[in-house]
Amino acid sequence: MTTATSSLHTFGRGGIHPGPHKEATASREIEDLPTPSEVVLPLLQHLGEPAEPCVKKGEMVRRGQKIAEGGKTGVPLHAPISGKIKPVDKRPHPTMAIAMSLAIGANVEAGPELEFPEDPEWRNLPLEESLSRVREAGIVGLGGAAFPTWRKLEFARAAKVDLLVMNGAECEPYLTSDYRVMLAYPTEIVEGSVLIAKIAGAKKVLIGVESDKPDAIEAIGKAAAALTDRSIPVEVVPCVARYPQGAEKQLVFAVSGRTVPARQLPSAVGVLVQNVATAQAVYDALRYRKPLLDRILTVTGPGIVQPRNVRAPLGASLADIVEFCGGIKPETHRMVAGGPMMGRSLPRLDVPLIKGMNGLVMLTGRGPLEDGFGACIRCGRCLDACPLGLEPDQVSVRVEVGRTLDCEPHGALDCYECGCCSYVCPSSRPLVQFMQVAKSALRRAAATRSAS
Amino acid sequence: MSETHPTFVLSPGPHLHTEESTSKIMWWVNGSLAPAALWGVFVFGINAAFVILASIAGAVLTEFVSQKALGRRPTLMDGSAVCTGLLLALTVNPNLPAWQAFLGSMFAIGLGKMIFGGLGFNLFNPALLGRAFLMATFPLNMTSGWATPRPWFGVPLDAVTTATPLAVLKEQGFEAAVKLVSSPVGLWNALALGFRPGSIGEVSLLLVAIGGAALLARRIITLAIPLSVLAGVALSTLHTGVPMLHLMSGGLWIGAFYMATDYVTSPSTTRAQIAFGLMIGLLTGMIRVYGGYPEGICYAILIANAMAPALDLWFRPKRTAIAGSPS
Repeated sequence: MTTATSSLHTFGRGGIHPGPHKEATASREIEDLPTPSEVVLPLLQHLGEPAEPCVKKGEMVRRGQKIAEGGKTGVPLHAPISGKIKPVDKRPHPTMAIAMSLAIGANVEAGPELEFPEDPEWRNLPLEESLSRVREAGIVGLGGAAFPTWRKLEFARAAKVDLLVMNGAECEPYLTSDYRVMLAYPTEIVEGSVLIAKIAGAKKVLIGVESDKPDAIEAIGKAAAALTDRSIPVEVVPCVARYPQGAEKQLVFAVSGRTVPARQLPSAVGVLVQNVATAQAVYDALRYRKPLLDRILTVTGPGIVQPRNVRAPLGASLADIVEFCGGIKPETHRMVAGGPMMGRSLPRLDVPLIKGMNGLVMLTGRGPLEDGFGACIRCGRCLDACPLGLEPDQVSVRVEVGRTLDCEPHGALDCYECGCCSYVCPSSRPLVQFMQVAKSALRRAAATRSAS
Repeated sequence: MSETHPTFVLSPGPHLHTEESTSKIMWWVNGSLAPAALWGVFVFGINAAFVILASIAGAVLTEFVSQKALGRRPTLMDGSAVCTGLLLALTVNPNLPAWQAFLGSMFAIGLGKMIFGGLGFNLFNPALLGRAFLMATFPLNMTSGWATPRPWFGVPLDAVTTATPLAVLKEQGFEAAVKLVSSPVGLWNALALGFRPGSIGEVSLLLVAIGGAALLARRIITLAIPLSVLAGVALSTLHTGVPMLHLMSGGLWIGAFYMATDYVTSPSTTRAQIAFGLMIGLLTGMIRVYGGYPEGICYAILIANAMAPALDLWFRPKRTAIAGSPS
């Protein structure tokens, strides 16, 4: 086993093998959700200011038409289906409980999707035009963070990055949406990566893919070899299938050997990291001026009747998406938006699909904390699992007795909450949450200090 | 959206969890000790069984009563009280009166574990504290009147004395120790298989090693502590000329594989564990050679236990990414 993996790239220490759980959907192609009767678009589904509606109640809009402006720091929204605008109102939001949202009722009288003809000059656009198209397309990081991509690219350019690392690791258990996107759109991803690299000023593209997806590695590799534009070298880097291989710091180290300092972004070492699905969106935006209208996500887990990789219009109700996948089994107990390691559990299905949601995992069985947790038995498993070399055990016992401000030497501020420590803890201790408590207390204390 | 949708339980991430649990680990430790315990009963006779049962009963009852008294949820099924009782029994004289073993494990759990706050909070290995208590309270029963091993396939053992090999080594020298245990199966066989006077669970190195191997294979323990304990003993007894006898005698292996590796009372990082193990090994050898006791592993571990929290702070994990200068 060691010889087989020794030639693969990976990060230094820690990490876990929670089991892939990808069998149910890995071999299933992306399937389209039938147009839903209604979509709900929260004005805030990215980091930045909320979008500002630019359509009126009762107005007919065609799929692809802009319906809200992005403002100075956000991104615009577009109609994912053709139909009639409903009043802007407070609606359930997956992560914010309730949020102001635009809604569209499907209506064939609104007309077909807008046409997005190719711009023959798409490879040679001026920088400003490229950035503007990324911005106008409403693209955000599709790996889950939902940070406006145009801002990230601007920032990367200012930081003078020289390397673009494309994240195709998909190390989260259960999820296969990036994998299916890589199989379905390898050329778009590779071309999109080159476009991103040019905007950011990167000189080279490395695409990191976990080795348990050999066909994706092959597809991306072929697409890279077939590139006509050779100004920027593109290389696929097979990585060990090991969680959290897709975490920015771990992936950057794995594919480039560069160490991102704690509490800093990859740009500190000249790297920009983008998700592979984002590259496909950027490709559509630059070549066709096509905005982000759909989202490909994996709907899976032991609680779903027919696990699938689904392409659904943004704003589609999770209830519609789940129904498309045969509904849920009665024993379904928890629902996670995103991957099961770093995703969020959601209480209800009547919320819309938002841009950052790359998976919906239906879990049966009781959650790790539902039966409480035990004392730290100092077994050291969390120390071995932490990819950063932090000390979740020391932080947790200090937080338990109220000594949150003593946690800094044990790494509380450096933690990015991958969850490896909680996963391995035999006492089921919520170590990630202990880290969060310590982190926010330390940040509050630092803010108070600098204010006074 | 008016129809009622199912609602789901909200829980903090990560939403997956390993199958491993504290109670599974404890029961694996208990199970891996069973062969050595049964062998002890077979070799030394029925009183060894009474000692084991009394010791476990004392531990379990004390934990149950104190948790009830403190209004806490009883956690008997986590197997840790059973583990303490079993381990204590395996480190005492098979001829010890059972009620004394019961008392010893009451002390181990009551004043060794529960008074500190229960599982996870004790500084010292509870089983070894119980043993130290018995050594102080019933020194004669603990250190003399050792049971004679059962005859080896009908061949009576030439065991006129019932002192342990280490006691004989200390008082009469190597030759006498060899004479004690070498007949009829040979010195090293007797030590490996357990045909020699000694504590219930320590006598068969082979069975202790098999149990330890099971824990290693199950990744419950690593070799860092046991190997460094053995290395420390070898280093500190080399000048006596009989390091092999030291390495194969007494409770060294059960101490190295089961007591020194106790999660709660040992350090957690590999480098700290190596320092901890070496400290135990060196102290064991020094106590055996220069101290007042023929066996030193018990006190060596207790002394090192006191150092464990400090060792964890001295030997921290290496950070993979150091925070850059604040900007």
